[in-house]
Amino acid sequence: MIRKINLLLEPLKYLKIQQNFEARLISTTVNLFNESTAERPATSVANIKSKNTLNKAMKSYLERAQQHDEFMKTEKHQFEIGKRHLANMMGENPETFTQDDIDNAIEYLFPSGLYDKRARPLMKPPEEVFPQRKAAEFDETGRPYHFLFYTGRPNLYQVLHDTVEKINELNNFEDTMIRKNLQPDPNLALELSGSQWLDKNTLEQKLVEPVSDGEYSNFLKAMDRLCSLPYSHKAKDFIMEYRKPLMSNSEAFDVIKPQIGPDGRQFVTTYECRRKRAIGNVTIRFPGTGKISINGQDINYFKGIQQREQLLFPLIFTNMQRKVDIEAEVQDGGESGQAGAIRYGIAWGLRSFIDQEYIENMRLAGLLTPDFRIRERKKPGQKGARKKFTWKKR
Amino acid sequence: MFKTTADLLIKSHPLRVVQGRFFAAAVAEPKSEDRLQSFRTFEADPSKHNTNHQSQFYKVDSTDKKVLFQYGGLPKSFQIQAKTFNETCLMVRDPSIQIINHLKTIDYTQPPIKFVLYGKKGCGKTLTLAHIMHYAYKNDFLIVHVPWVGNWMRRCKDTSNSETKPGFIDLNIDAAAWLVHFKTQNANILENPELKTTIDIQWNKRECTPIGSSLLELIDQGINRIRFASNCVNYLAEEVKKLSQSGLCRTLLAIDGFNAFFYPNTRVFTEKKEMVPPSRVTLTEGFLNLTKFDWKNSVIVVTVDEIAIAEKDQISHYPRYLLGKSGFEHLDPFLPVEVKDYSEKEHQSIMDYYRERKWIHSYPGQNDELYFLSGGNPFRLMNLCNAL
Repeated sequence: MIRKINLLLEPLKYLKIQQNFEARLISTTVNLFNESTAERPATSVANIKSKNTLNKAMKSYLERAQQHDEFMKTEKHQFEIGKRHLANMMGENPETFTQDDIDNAIEYLFPSGLYDKRARPLMKPPEEVFPQRKAAEFDETGRPYHFLFYTGRPNLYQVLHDTVEKINELNNFEDTMIRKNLQPDPNLALELSGSQWLDKNTLEQKLVEPVSDGEYSNFLKAMDRLCSLPYSHKAKDFIMEYRKPLMSNSEAFDVIKPQIGPDGRQFVTTYECRRKRAIGNVTIRFPGTGKISINGQDINYFKGIQQREQLLFPLIFTNMQRKVDIEAEVQDGGESGQAGAIRYGIAWGLRSFIDQEYIENMRLAGLLTPDFRIRERKKPGQKGARKKFTWKKR
Repeated sequence: MFKTTADLLIKSHPLRVVQGRFFAAAVAEPKSEDRLQSFRTFEADPSKHNTNHQSQFYKVDSTDKKVLFQYGGLPKSFQIQAKTFNETCLMVRDPSIQIINHLKTIDYTQPPIKFVLYGKKGCGKTLTLAHIMHYAYKNDFLIVHVPWVGNWMRRCKDTSNSETKPGFIDLNIDAAAWLVHFKTQNANILENPELKTTIDIQWNKRECTPIGSSLLELIDQGINRIRFASNCVNYLAEEVKKLSQSGLCRTLLAIDGFNAFFYPNTRVFTEKKEMVPPSRVTLTEGFLNLTKFDWKNSVIVVTVDEIAIAEKDQISHYPRYLLGKSGFEHLDPFLPVEVKDYSEKEHQSIMDYYRERKWIHSYPGQNDELYFLSGGNPFRLMNLCNAL
């Protein structure tokens, strides 16, 4: 973090005096802050001494916690200063300078072509850069706050505890409903198809605790059991906390609104459909009779059966084969690339004319996912893109 | 009610299984007959086919098939399928009905009308021709049929220099094979004693076919003395012309892959490995002679096909391109008849036929899917269905 900000400050040393002055100002504030914080630990240690009931382990724990707090405070402060400074450099108002602006500024000042985005220069609030630590878990008298502290994983066992509580609650509820002769409403049943359980790493981050494989599977079992109950929808909020959507909805569901053509039919054009090296535009007209034209020709444009099946797949999948007309213009690439590009265009355009349910199915079938892969170049000194020559001793 | 009676019977009867089967068959039968109505016609005589029979299948009698197509005339893949299905069925399609209707009505005292069948690869030109030939056979035409000109120009069996015409090449084995084909196809008509040669033919010093000998003798001469087969074909062509002219017989000239006669590149080579253009193949002469206008009492149906020429030149399927300038001028004026891809109805019909023959398993949406995949092309559809 500091390195990142130093990176920012470094070029300033060689800038005009005015900016140097500013930098001095900032450095003084940092010093001031350091001085003020330097006093604090002394007082707090004095407090602890006065109680004189703490054992050594607890003492060292408290000290470590305090150190961490201080460290974070410094980092936060430095981040704020860096942010203001950056805002000034960019000629914006430091008060309204948001994180997005910071990211843009960093990208502008330190353009980087590194492939992995995590390897590029960044400037984030210290909470995001440094891993979170647990807050103090016991008070000054040494009593833990959490009743499950001695399990070693209070947060995880809290979740499991809550789960069981919910299960019992729902079972009781079910009993009462049975007594009243009522059935659960199938419309309200919990819909879990579009999401999945948090994976182990995410769960660990969420709970701020290490989770072993066995514990994770226990967690899954408990959750599945809760979901399998007939009235599980009543615990929806709790369950959804531990699930994540398979794909962000806004991305997939931005349906293009059909335009009206001169013949009074609706049409949707998908531009720049790509697959391999091929690129094309696909227009879908509704209502139609299943006519298809590719670069002015009919289906015979494609000689192979595989390519024809590619085109047909989204149409059959959505049951729209006889209901739409398709016009495609495609260039570059080979046969299968062109067919793939048109298939993507058809699937993408068809969303405008079909139900949400079909769209979801298409997404699950992978029809709405563009395929960005292209051929990797051959490297000199080896046989192919990755493949090496046969190794010979000499 | 019927079902309940059946159930009762089955329950009470000791031979349950047998009864069950019997009733199942009894219930199922009318349904299959209904289906049969739509894609099959029992009108086996091509001269009675009209637009009502369109896109229906009719069964070619096995004896007819043996006479007409024993030595070629049907595509090989079709023949394999016919053997599998244990019957030869042709679909009554629009171009063949059109031509058959014309054949019924035209004036045979005029010079022959030329029909040119054209269409994309694998859309049924040869089978349309087969249908027309079947009509001609049933109506006692003398059929002069070349199953595939490409076999001569691109896959000839042997070559030899012509003895009578310097610079010309004979394809004697092919010519003799064709004579056998001609003889089988027209066995009935050739028995007519009135069909006689009109000139003396001197083959060499010792052998000659005198004037007034029967046409069969001329043909046999060509078959037995293979050296003379090519010339024999040309003489035969001339004789057929004269006989038709005199009204002794009515002739159908059916040539499949006619454009091969005008495609400059062949695979016929001289002894010096020089390529021989079709115009210098002896056989060409006879059939070009037959396609002229200077005779009557005949009709000419030819097909032009991309497959008859080299693959690199298969650009267009239209007659003007395939025949070239000289060929076009030779045939002109003619009636072009396009053989199109399957219409929806025809597609439906052939799918039903395949199902009835238990050639494919059906599943919902099959027809639409296959129509799209094949693009309506019959040959392609056949290949697709082979795997289903």
